[in-house]
Amino acid sequence: MDDYAIGVLTNIALFSFIALSAYLLLIAGEMSFGQQAFFGVGAYAGGILTTLYAWPLPLAALAAMALGAVAQFLVALPTLRLRGLHFAMATLAAAEMARILFELMHWRREIDGELAGPDGTQGFRGIRWIFEHGIEPLHYLGIVGVLLALVLALFLMIERSKLGATLRGVGLDPELAASVGIDVQRIKLGVAAAAGALAALGGVLYAHHNTYIEPRNFDIMLGVHSLAYALIGGLGTAFGPLLGVLLDIGALESTRVFHGYRMIVFGGLVALVLVYRPRGLLDERTVQWLRQRFS
Amino acid sequence: MAKAALLLIVLALPLLAQAQTPEAQLRCESTGQDFVYDCTLMLTRFGRPLEGAQVTVGADMPSMPMAHSVRPARARPGLKPGEYKARLDLEMLGEWAIKLRLDGPVRDLLVLHYEFDSKGAMPRKR
Repeated sequence: MDDYAIGVLTNIALFSFIALSAYLLLIAGEMSFGQQAFFGVGAYAGGILTTLYAWPLPLAALAAMALGAVAQFLVALPTLRLRGLHFAMATLAAAEMARILFELMHWRREIDGELAGPDGTQGFRGIRWIFEHGIEPLHYLGIVGVLLALVLALFLMIERSKLGATLRGVGLDPELAASVGIDVQRIKLGVAAAAGALAALGGVLYAHHNTYIEPRNFDIMLGVHSLAYALIGGLGTAFGPLLGVLLDIGALESTRVFHGYRMIVFGGLVALVLVYRPRGLLDERTVQWLRQRFS
Repeated sequence: MAKAALLLIVLALPLLAQAQTPEAQLRCESTGQDFVYDCTLMLTRFGRPLEGAQVTVGADMPSMPMAHSVRPARARPGLKPGEYKARLDLEMLGEWAIKLRLDGPVRDLLVLHYEFDSKGAMPRKR
């Protein structure tokens, strides 16, 4: 496999983490335009821990996930009182606040004779853990792929469990769910924390793949894409967001001949799917049909 | 004597570690074709030209890092030591994060920020 193919596949896998975090909130009935903030929290936290404090990447990833979970829990605590578009706008505002905080963050130390660490708008260079540990791009793709497979397996287990049914119940009709004794607020707070942890995991992996991050990497474009992946792919199964990422990156990569205009393909894809398949290509009905057909 | 040698080693360590990461300078000129640039890279390490590296040049837009990426091009060695040449086919004008993947005597990924206009590229200023 050449470097280009490895790069594209790694990008697909990295995008999938943030797409799955947006999907998790969507099935619980909440639309977030702010998952890029927690992706950024994970990227910065993981980068700081491995680069400035020499933590091993697995430990730094766990710490970043915990921080991502706490951050999204704290954002969800006041904003989950809002509904629909108001919640979406609140998450977008929170994400912009996070991006501005990244711009104001200066946390530099001398490492091996060179200054390293976040330097505001100049970004954070030298997140070189995978190079220092001799991890080749294909090996790193394998690590990211295995982590994604584990996350996906966890999603599929939850979706087949009582918790999965509860989540969908809360998402489809929170009042009805509350009337049968489900603590809707508690479930949604738990979902928000899990979505924050998942986005943060994607962020840590992204930072170490790229070696450089800056606040603009975590702006609204990433949030819109992550939400669009879940909506294009479908809300019937956790494979939906992955299908969304595959379709988008596949379409973008195969239409390079159109240069910058190829982003129109992405916009057109979102518009078409939202008109004809409001809950995505792999919506609940399609997934049910596929299960009946192949079981 | 041993103490003096140890002291010398300790004092020399920061110097040895200095600029362990390769440094790169980029110069790009438009080919006349829209968004296509001929770029010359100068790579140094420990202040000396870095020769024999396999360099792959890619580019990303900082505001959408994984979607507007450009197909990486393999750079060929130039005439001077540490010099490499590559052609970049971008999608639009504006700021790009140029990614240099190095293999061979040193393995690394360097990210440089340049502003591309109709004539060439300038380092980003903020």
